[in-house]
Amino acid sequence: MKRSDRIVGVVILIALMLTIVSWIVMHRTRGAVAVVRVNDKVVATVDLTSLEPQTLHITGVLGPLVIVADGKGSIRVAEATCPDQICVHTIPARSPGDQVICVPNHMVITVEGKGTGIDALAQ
Amino acid sequence: MRKAIAPIVALIIAGAGLTTFFALRTSPEPVTSTYFLMDTVFTVKTTGGDAATINEHLHALASDVDSMTSYYKAESQTVRVNAAAGKGSVSVSPEYAALLKTAVAVEAIDHGRTFDIAISPLSSLWGFTTKDFRVPSAKEISDTLAYSHSDQLVLSGTTVQLRDSRSRIDLGGVAKGYSLDVMEEYLKTVKPQPQQVIVDFGGNLLLYSGGKKHDWKVGIRDPRGQGIIGYVRSDDAFVATSGDYERYFERDGKRYCHIIDPSTGYPGTLNRSATIITDIQPMHGAIGDALGKVFFCSPAGSQRSLFQTVQGQGVVGVVIVDAAGTRSTLGPITFVSTTAQ
Ligand SMILES: [Zn+2]
Repeated sequence: MKRSDRIVGVVILIALMLTIVSWIVMHRTRGAVAVVRVNDKVVATVDLTSLEPQTLHITGVLGPLVIVADGKGSIRVAEATCPDQICVHTIPARSPGDQVICVPNHMVITVEGKGTGIDALAQ
Repeated sequence: MRKAIAPIVALIIAGAGLTTFFALRTSPEPVTSTYFLMDTVFTVKTTGGDAATINEHLHALASDVDSMTSYYKAESQTVRVNAAAGKGSVSVSPEYAALLKTAVAVEAIDHGRTFDIAISPLSSLWGFTTKDFRVPSAKEISDTLAYSHSDQLVLSGTTVQLRDSRSRIDLGGVAKGYSLDVMEEYLKTVKPQPQQVIVDFGGNLLLYSGGKKHDWKVGIRDPRGQGIIGYVRSDDAFVATSGDYERYFERDGKRYCHIIDPSTGYPGTLNRSATIITDIQPMHGAIGDALGKVFFCSPAGSQRSLFQTVQGQGVVGVVIVDAAGTRSTLGPITFVSTTAQ
């Protein structure tokens, strides 16, 4: 085997490895995780793939909030000290991109993970 | 022969691999920041450029607009105008006067039937300004409606006056869209330019790429659930949505949303949401924001003629979900449904 052939072989091998690594990084998927933030600071992270129901007690800007993950992939606000109760009435979040927001408490629950397929949400 | 091809093949594969690797490695991660102001969530997602600084500056610009237009803040020009209602005229800044003029011009499109910045005494009556929600009597509503129209507003240059002492204006219906106008003006001047910036100000979007991106995929929120009902594709644009799910209260199982229909004095019930896409031109953020209310409060029968009126003024398209959940689009946009109607 000639020296130049070996170089060609090594170059092909490196290129293939880089392609595979890139592909894996690009297509890496995580299970749905809900991130709870107050004033843009993460106060809790909930694994929505967990089959165990979970109740979280957090403190918003106005007061306490009770957040429930039902163990079936959904998360919602069960109780909140806000005048409008919009967060409590919001449909539970379960898919990447879904949110439950309590504006008076500066609290946002976001389901993270790839797969929303859109750039922005008109809402 | 074989010898001649091998290096070429190697070069092609190596090139493809390296390109993929470096494209991935050098494409900057977006920086997302969330703030709370104007009674809503303000989220900025910037990719490229000095992203964190850009996000902070955009927040500062939104705060400036809030200080200028707020219904509540002592330093705001709205508070000064309202405090002088029935007493005399007030001198406002050229920017404030221009915004008022824009809002009044949008009101005129439908003769004040579907959007009115002077409707705010009714918003107060329903408790939306104090969060002390209640359902007023029909008499209270008709009494209040008598002085809750922009014909009480006298605008001359930078001088503003409210004739009736009980009249009030509220620029909440244009302030978020106007903030996006101010942000877009700033983003154009930023060096180095970010690759793209997505601003979501309480449902009002600014999609910015400096004109480079033409395939923005904009999801339309399901007004009665999580996720989207479909999407539209767009160039750089302002996208304003007025929906009955943004701010509302419930009494006896009935939903009362914060958008008061100026023709009745009751919260709008004809539609669940209206999304307006406007092109990137000065004041088109504010205009789109106001038109969201116009289409939200419009019956199906008048939407097409309304659209024809505004189409030449930068409105690219409109997506409406009516009270029954039926979707319709106006303009040369394609709505791709992702859920059954
Ligand atoms: Zn709440």
